[in-house]
Amino acid sequence: MEKAYTPQIIGFLCNWCSYTGADLAGVSRLQIPSSIRVIRLMCSGRIDPLFVTKAIFKGSDGVMMMGCHPGDCHYQKGNYYTRRRYKTIKTVLEVLHLDAERIVLSWVSASEGVKYARVTKEFSNKITGLGPNPLKKEIFL
Amino acid sequence: MTATESIKIEKPPKGASIPAKKGIKKAILGIFKKALETESLDALIIPVKVPETESYAWVLLKDTALLENADPLPPVMTIQGGKVLSDLTKHGKINKNIAAVLRPCETRAAVELFKLKQLHFENISLISIDCPGAIPLSEYLAEPEKSEKSFGNVLDKWDGDDSVREICKTCYRFSLPTLTNAPASDLHIGLSGNTKDDVVLIPVTSKGEKILEKLDLKPESSLQKWETKIKEIKKIKSQRRKEFNHDFKTNISGPEKFTAVFDGCINCHNCQSVCPICYCQQCYFDSATTKLSSEDYFRRAKERGALRFPLDTMLFHLGRMSHMALSCVSCGACEDGLPHVHFRISGLQPRRRADPASIQLYPGNK
Repeated sequence: MEKAYTPQIIGFLCNWCSYTGADLAGVSRLQIPSSIRVIRLMCSGRIDPLFVTKAIFKGSDGVMMMGCHPGDCHYQKGNYYTRRRYKTIKTVLEVLHLDAERIVLSWVSASEGVKYARVTKEFSNKITGLGPNPLKKEIFL
Repeated sequence: MTATESIKIEKPPKGASIPAKKGIKKAILGIFKKALETESLDALIIPVKVPETESYAWVLLKDTALLENADPLPPVMTIQGGKVLSDLTKHGKINKNIAAVLRPCETRAAVELFKLKQLHFENISLISIDCPGAIPLSEYLAEPEKSEKSFGNVLDKWDGDDSVREICKTCYRFSLPTLTNAPASDLHIGLSGNTKDDVVLIPVTSKGEKILEKLDLKPESSLQKWETKIKEIKKIKSQRRKEFNHDFKTNISGPEKFTAVFDGCINCHNCQSVCPICYCQQCYFDSATTKLSSEDYFRRAKERGALRFPLDTMLFHLGRMSHMALSCVSCGACEDGLPHVHFRISGLQPRRRADPASIQLYPGNK
C-alpha cells in the first residue's frame, strides 16, 4: 500500500511569542500537524530571506515564518523587518513563478496556542493540496 | 507616488545657465575649477582619465591641474560612485567641505548606502548630472576610441542609440528628480534640452544653493525647455522599460527558464563585488559554511538523485535578489562586471525597490 503524502514544512518561530505559543498549544493538548519542523530563533527578525529561499530550494514543501504581533516585538522592531522581508521574498518568488504560496507569515503571540494549532493545520492542509515541492528533484537548480 | 510619475520639482523653478561654447565638459570643469580656486569647495571627487591608459578612475582632488583629465560624465561606469563615497565616509563624517560628481544612479546608490548606515553625508555635496547612459565596459575596453565616439553620438541624440548598455536604454531615472520628492542630489547639472551652447545648474537643496551663491551664479534661467525634453525622453524610456519587464518576466518564469537564464553563471561572484548596495563584510556564500564534507555531498546527491557542482549557484542569485530587491538602483554594475556578456542579470531585481505602499500591508494578520 502506498504511503500517504505528508509534507515537510519548516517553521521559523520567534522565541518570545510564537515558540511559546506553540508550547502552549502542546501543553493544551491541541492537535498540531506532524508535518511542521520547528526552528526556534530569538526573534523573527533573525529570519534571513536566504533561510526561506534555501529551504524551498533544498526541497521543503513549505515555510512558515512566525513572530510576535506588530508592536509586541521583544526587541522593538524585529518583526517589522520580518514583514518587509516576507513581502520581498514573496515578490521575488512570484516574479520567478516559483510557488510563492508555499511561504506564509503569521503573527502568533505567547497566549495564542489555539491560533498556532489553527494556522499550522490550515497551512499543512494547503501544502498537502499543492503536493510535493517540484524543486526537490531539480538537479540543475 | 510611483517612479514613472511626471517630474515634480518643488524647489528649483529656475537654474543658472552657463555658456558652453568650448564644449559642455569644459564648461562644467570650469565651474569646478572656480569652486576649488575660490575655496567654495575644499576638494572634489570626480572620475579622471588615467594618463597613458584608456580607463577612468575616481580621484579625490584639490589640485585644479588634475581637472584637465577629469570627466564629469565618462563614457563608462568603471566603479559605482556610491561605493566610492561609502569608502570615503564609512567610518565617520569628514571635516572637509567636498563635492562628489555622480550619475543619477550613483546618487541613488549613495542614498541607499546612507540608509544602510554605510555612508555619511555631512559636509558632502552631491552633484548629479543628466546621464544618457554608459557604454558597456567590455566594449569600451576593447575599442576605447570607437566607444568615445559613439558616446559622443549618444550625448547628441539622448535616446534611441544602441551603443549604451541595455539597462541604460531602459533607464527612466536618468535625471532629476529621482523616485520621490526627496532630493537625491544637492545640485543638478542639466544637459538635455539645451543647445550645445549652455549647461544649466539647478540648485535642489540649500547646500546646492550655497554653492551657486559662492560661485556668484544666480539661478535665473527658465527650466522649461529642459523639463520638456526630460519628460519626453522619460516617456520613451519608461515605455521601453515596461516592454523589457514584460519580456523578461516571460523569459524567466518557472524553474526551467530560471535555470536556463543562469546557466552561463561561472560562480565568479563579480556581480556581488561590484554591486554598490551589497555591502556585507562577509557574505554567506563566500564563507566556509558553504563547503561541506564529502559525506554531506553524497547525502545530498542521494536525496536528489544527482548533485550539481558548485553547490548553490542558483541560490546565490536568488539570495542576492531577495537581499537587494528593496535597494537596487538599476545601475547595471552587476552586468558590467560579468566576465562574459551573454548573461543578463541587471534586469533581475523584481521590482527595483518594491512599492512602499505594498509594504504597508499587514500580511501576518490572517
